[in-house]
Amino acid sequence: MIRFILGRLAWGVPVLWLVATATFILMHVVPGGPFDQEKSLPPEIRANVDAKYHLDRPVLTQYVLYLGDLLRGNLGPSYKYLGRNVDDIIRDTLPVSAQLGLWAVLISVIAGVGAGIVAAARPRSWADHAGMFLATIGISVPNFVIGTFLIMIFSYRLHLFPAALWEGWRYSVLPAVTLALLPAAYIARLTRSSMLEILDKEFIRTVRANGFGEGRVLLKHALKNSITPVVSFLGPLTATLVTGSFVVEFIFSVPGMGRYFITAVTNRDYPLIMGVTLVYAVLIVAANIVVDLAYMWLDPRMRIKDQ
Amino acid sequence: MINHNRIKWAVALALVFASAGLIVRPVARLPPVPDGSTFRMTLSNEPPTLDWNLATDSVSFDVLINLMEGLTEYDEQLRPRPAVARSWEVAPDGRTYLFHLREDARWSDGKPVTAGDFEYSWKRLLDPKTAAEYAYFLYDIEGAEDYNTGKTDRPDSVGVRALDDRRLEVRLRKPIVFFPSITTFMVTFPMRRDVVEKFGERWTEPGHLVTEGPFMLDEWRHEYKLTLRPNPYYYGERPALSKIVMFVVNETATALTLYETGDLEMATLPPEAMSAYRGKTEYVSAPILRGYYYGFNVLKPPFSDPRVRRAFSMAVDRREFPAILKRGEIPASFWIPPGMPYYNPALGLPFDPEGARRLLADAGYPGGRGFPTVTAAFNTAPENSLIAENLQAQWKRNLGVEVLLDNQEWKVYLKQLQTDPPPLFRLGWGADYPDPDNFMNLFTSTSGNNRTRWKNDRYDALIRSAAAEPDPHRRQAAYDEAQRILLETDAAIMPLFVATQNWVIKPYVRGLRVNALELLEFKNVHLERP
Repeated sequence: MIRFILGRLAWGVPVLWLVATATFILMHVVPGGPFDQEKSLPPEIRANVDAKYHLDRPVLTQYVLYLGDLLRGNLGPSYKYLGRNVDDIIRDTLPVSAQLGLWAVLISVIAGVGAGIVAAARPRSWADHAGMFLATIGISVPNFVIGTFLIMIFSYRLHLFPAALWEGWRYSVLPAVTLALLPAAYIARLTRSSMLEILDKEFIRTVRANGFGEGRVLLKHALKNSITPVVSFLGPLTATLVTGSFVVEFIFSVPGMGRYFITAVTNRDYPLIMGVTLVYAVLIVAANIVVDLAYMWLDPRMRIKDQ
Repeated sequence: MINHNRIKWAVALALVFASAGLIVRPVARLPPVPDGSTFRMTLSNEPPTLDWNLATDSVSFDVLINLMEGLTEYDEQLRPRPAVARSWEVAPDGRTYLFHLREDARWSDGKPVTAGDFEYSWKRLLDPKTAAEYAYFLYDIEGAEDYNTGKTDRPDSVGVRALDDRRLEVRLRKPIVFFPSITTFMVTFPMRRDVVEKFGERWTEPGHLVTEGPFMLDEWRHEYKLTLRPNPYYYGERPALSKIVMFVVNETATALTLYETGDLEMATLPPEAMSAYRGKTEYVSAPILRGYYYGFNVLKPPFSDPRVRRAFSMAVDRREFPAILKRGEIPASFWIPPGMPYYNPALGLPFDPEGARRLLADAGYPGGRGFPTVTAAFNTAPENSLIAENLQAQWKRNLGVEVLLDNQEWKVYLKQLQTDPPPLFRLGWGADYPDPDNFMNLFTSTSGNNRTRWKNDRYDALIRSAAAEPDPHRRQAAYDEAQRILLETDAAIMPLFVATQNWVIKPYVRGLRVNALELLEFKNVHLERP
């Protein structure tokens, strides 16, 4: 087990290097730099600024300097938020996004798996149709529409939850639900189809024939055997939700990291682009390791294969 | 076996809950229910910096204008008036200013504001190592440009000197009549050497930052909010507000919702909400010193012919823009905007489709025949698309010419303007300080922001002489002639409109004035809640 984890972690290093290199190349290929603005700087001042951030060096040198800093755990200064390091920005914003993201994961799993089980238990019933109708809406309606809709109903009309800002748990309800709806819909569909497949299997008939109640059949035997696709979806999902969503953070004014996936690029804030991309990559790598461990836990055959 | 599995599930679930709980910051804060004198507003993004030597953007300025004061400040008409400087004298040569500082100006830690604090700040601004983008604001000071560009490494060669704690002497390289306007600008605010050196790059964090304006920084939760409290040592009257909370809210629609739910005292009005608030007492609209224009690259045919440029400008009915954008924009064929001295609405080419067609025919394209296909370029934004599509239709209708549209992402667009400006391009310009020099200098042949490639010696000479001209009548005459050259005879640019600001402000807010620089000063604001 330990060897497995260490092996996977070792593989993460070249993956991260590749991500860092590709991002570095891409962001330098895109025209326009961090200090191009409507009021352009006199060339001498531009030279001072470029010198301060080593932007006057060849791109290859900048790349080597960046990797060197990265190895020392230094993500560099933000070009836009002066006097702040990318480390500071991530330290301030990632916990907020992560908190919101984990709530959203939790909501989407409970709602999605629940709806999937109900739908699979009574296929083509009204509950199945209603659940899958909601799931289709969850998948097809963009989250800024859902967010606005929730604000309209729950803050503007009913005054149940705040419309935006970030002052306590009540402030995270609407953004977490908005964030959770799309993955919940996916999970519901995944669970339903996977459950239906399992419920058709021979062994389920055996279990039923043995006289076990329907609840036990569904929850213990069918669910456990059909949860694998949901687990593999959960890995990257968690990494995505935990690093924040640009749209949800904008609509609800949540001080998270998600906004920087977009604004760092529009500002050409190179170190910040690299920083948020690498955090995301690290989380993806970590989430995939966790998913693999979960497979082993759920499916004894995987354990044997590994050994 | 069953129990074993249940435990596994329970542990997994508990872990997820725990991890969600672990990173929850202790939230002891109450929801933002205000006391009677808390003012809540929004900033459109996280302030990039509160280091006023380095700040270049309006969000940072919104905060700093309440934390700091310069030698001078604006009055209601945006003319400079004494602030930390009690008075000033100009030597007969027009090149030496002597500022006398007030005795009672104090920093928020109680120390007096001295002329040395200004000298330190200005030299730090000019130090190439500071890499301040707005260092050029002080280039008119003797030796400033040489020091900033590394031609000399001696800060004493810069013409600013504290004669003693109360007197600041500034020597300019040429006479500048509007220098007291420049000293209203944030990059020139005084700075404490001891604070900057003690805390390094972190000197602007709460607890470190020391300021001398009506308010001081109490809290700065990055990406979320800033809280300001009155500076107990401020020399003027103590502000009536006990607290200002500035939330970072990127979305104007979100800000408006928060305003409607009673969580804000004021908010910016997005265009789509304009019609719902127009006519209400809480709605405030005012012009800002920001011009929107299309420039011609005068080196690229067919716009190398001034007749074609004039025809394009005259073929546009600018009254259509406020109808499209719906924010009360002011149609403008002139360049110096209203609210700025020496504004003259009679200048610029009027809408004259008949005359425009004649000019185009003179240039060899009667009825638009034979006119090459040209492309109008702009940066991607809904507002810019609306304007460009309207222009395209007007040029087609009034001149019979086909214009293609091309939009690019902002930074990509800027790069193109720097390297190879398109024949026809959109840009805007906002004033840093309310002197026409800030607008007119833009199109001189040495200006780094003149993307038209247009050069005119007479224009350059007029702008140079106007900057040094103490007589208002002669200054007016110089700017009028310069605008005629820029907009009428040479038509290097075609201004389209002047932008506006649109707010909703709760009726119980008193004493808040919006000005054309969009500066929101809170020192005279008080609340009369019902």
